[in-house]
Amino acid sequence: MEPPNLYPVKLYVYDLSKGLARRLSPIMLGKQLEGIWHTSIVVHKDEFFFGSGGISSCPPGGTLLGPPDSVVDVGSTEVTEEIFLEYLSSLGESLFRGEAYNLFEHNCNTFSNEVAQFLTGRKIPSYITDLPSEVLSTTSGACSL
Amino acid sequence: MPHIISRTPRMAQGGRPSCLPAGKNTASSVTRVIVKTPGKQEDFMIADDTSVRQFKEKLSAHFKCQVDQLVLVFMGRLLKDHDILSQRGILDGHTIHLVIKSKHSSRSLAHSSRKPSTDEPCHQDKNTKGNSSGVHQPAGANHSPVESAVSAEPGVPRMHTQGLEVLSLERIAQILENPGIQQLLSNTDFMRRLISEHPDMQQLMQQNPEVSHIFDDSDVLWQTLELARNLAVIQEILQIQQPAQNLEHPSDPQSHVGSETTRGEDKALSQNSADFNDQMLSSSHDPFGGNLFTALLGGQVPEPVQSSPPSPPPPQEWQEQLPQLPTARVIYASSRDLSSTASASATPSKANQTSRANTAASSTYGWSHTCDVEQLTGSPALPSIELTQQPQAEDKDATTSLDSSDQKLEDDLRLLDEQTGSQIAGSMTQVLLNNPSLAAQMMLCMSMPQLSEQWRQQLPALPQQTQLSDMLTALANPKTSQAILQIEQGLQLLATEAPVLLPWVAPYLWGLGWLPAPSCSYPDTVPGAWDVPDMEEPKGPESCHKSGTVLQSLQSRDGDPSHLLQAPEIRFSKQMESLHAMGFGNHQANLQALIAT
Repeated sequence: MEPPNLYPVKLYVYDLSKGLARRLSPIMLGKQLEGIWHTSIVVHKDEFFFGSGGISSCPPGGTLLGPPDSVVDVGSTEVTEEIFLEYLSSLGESLFRGEAYNLFEHNCNTFSNEVAQFLTGRKIPSYITDLPSEVLSTTSGACSL
Repeated sequence: MPHIISRTPRMAQGGRPSCLPAGKNTASSVTRVIVKTPGKQEDFMIADDTSVRQFKEKLSAHFKCQVDQLVLVFMGRLLKDHDILSQRGILDGHTIHLVIKSKHSSRSLAHSSRKPSTDEPCHQDKNTKGNSSGVHQPAGANHSPVESAVSAEPGVPRMHTQGLEVLSLERIAQILENPGIQQLLSNTDFMRRLISEHPDMQQLMQQNPEVSHIFDDSDVLWQTLELARNLAVIQEILQIQQPAQNLEHPSDPQSHVGSETTRGEDKALSQNSADFNDQMLSSSHDPFGGNLFTALLGGQVPEPVQSSPPSPPPPQEWQEQLPQLPTARVIYASSRDLSSTASASATPSKANQTSRANTAASSTYGWSHTCDVEQLTGSPALPSIELTQQPQAEDKDATTSLDSSDQKLEDDLRLLDEQTGSQIAGSMTQVLLNNPSLAAQMMLCMSMPQLSEQWRQQLPALPQQTQLSDMLTALANPKTSQAILQIEQGLQLLATEAPVLLPWVAPYLWGLGWLPAPSCSYPDTVPGAWDVPDMEEPKGPESCHKSGTVLQSLQSRDGDPSHLLQAPEIRFSKQMESLHAMGFGNHQANLQALIAT
């Protein structure tokens, strides 16, 4: 039996604030945030992310954000592109429709986390997924909603 | 089935790793795994020795699908049928991901399902500009909605060896990049009117009443407008047209692209249009582009067709498509003409008249001129090339204020002239001339969005003259529009603060060429300006219009139309007296205060 193909899975992390969050968050929120993270999953030579328009894909680094600020190696997967796309389409119809987007509860990082677990069984780093709760836990963050 | 085990109190002990064979028989035989499908997850109890195959059978019964459709993924690994779950390390509480493939899952489907699944979300944010990528790069572009937005077509039109036409397209592309023009093109109402007013269009409308339906359908109109901005599509159409072109006028320097369409092309065009028509009706972007522009370039077709009885009567669908032709044609003409006029930017090379030089020199702004674009319009047989080079020299000095843009455009102009042909410019300006309100709107859209409302009211009777194209070209210069804006603002300010001073400003305006000298006395002209669309004094009425515009707007705002320019003292005399009586002695201050109220 042929050995299964392993496809690398990467997590592209973008800081939407371009460094401002690191500098200003202590003042504005009272706690230190390293960045406002936007993430996407890169697998099968494509970048997949979730936004208000639903699940989208583009060539890696091909969004308006440009190249990622950091790349996290999530692992590798045997899931083929075919299966992955089926999976994505059913996700896009169920859990990750465009209107389901919520900046704090159900955002791009939620999606990346979900997909990462599907592909590799691992979650994405917690500092990313904890961001909304971090912000919400501050009074000014919660008030700004 | 032995591995279907219902919950029992033994489950509480199920936390032990079930793969350990140590004598915990009760705990090790049952494993609770979580099966997660997109959108939901469920718990399943399985025995340790369950094979993947057996598990799949269980799942297929649960999810009501075939076993072959199931794909199990654990820790990124695909679970094969012969595997034993426990051997794969699936322990209690672990999550197995399940993907249910669609019935017809196969490699070919993967590709087709790939496109809709990724592309539809990708195209959620419509790219109006980037659609040509779909035309030229169907494979790659589908995945890059964002990229296509970034890499908007403009100067990218592939360099073919079509020579001059491509260059003109680039020019047009650059011109169309001008946000002013884009704004103009976006103005559906305006474009609709523009099209309606086009003489050829009207001709066609008479022949085909269905044409009017097009304009009612805003969708169609919008797509048509997008076409006008989609140069790559134009280029494609040109490519289609090229081989089909029968060079009736091979040596015609003004050969308008598409003007050589002949009967022979009719059928080809009709076929194309038939295809494209369906796509258009289904309101898809790119193929639609093909339609109207094919039609557009074949826009000449209806006329020669009708004028030549022997030609086989066009098929019925062709007749129906006729209405679309002029639409696109006019838009195309308009867009090209916009580019041509804008790029001409008062560079006389387009104009080939000498008188322009003199008059242009007298004004720093495009407003007051005498420019006889009339010559532009009146002589469609402009032999562009020779004449372009001629006046360039003499007009160099005339376009002092427009130098910056001139330099850039001059090189392209010669080529542009050949391509666009004066016909388009002529027809365009004719349309504008016939509809001053339309021209007013165009200028508004192009240069002074802030004042658009105000101006719309104030410029109903723009001179019929041909200054329009000059105005347009001048307006294309952003500096021009800025300057005009500043002037307008200054005038407004002045009018609000000290309207009495306006007559004093008149001399300055005269110096600028806005007001003709004494022949147009200020107060008289203002009310009368609106009634004087004649062209005896091309400068006068226009400039009076302009200043009158400001004043009138101010007047209407102040609500005192007739007396504003009269001494405010007269108006306020009574109040002034009362103020004096109350003890406010400062005459000027009182006046100012009263004016301010």
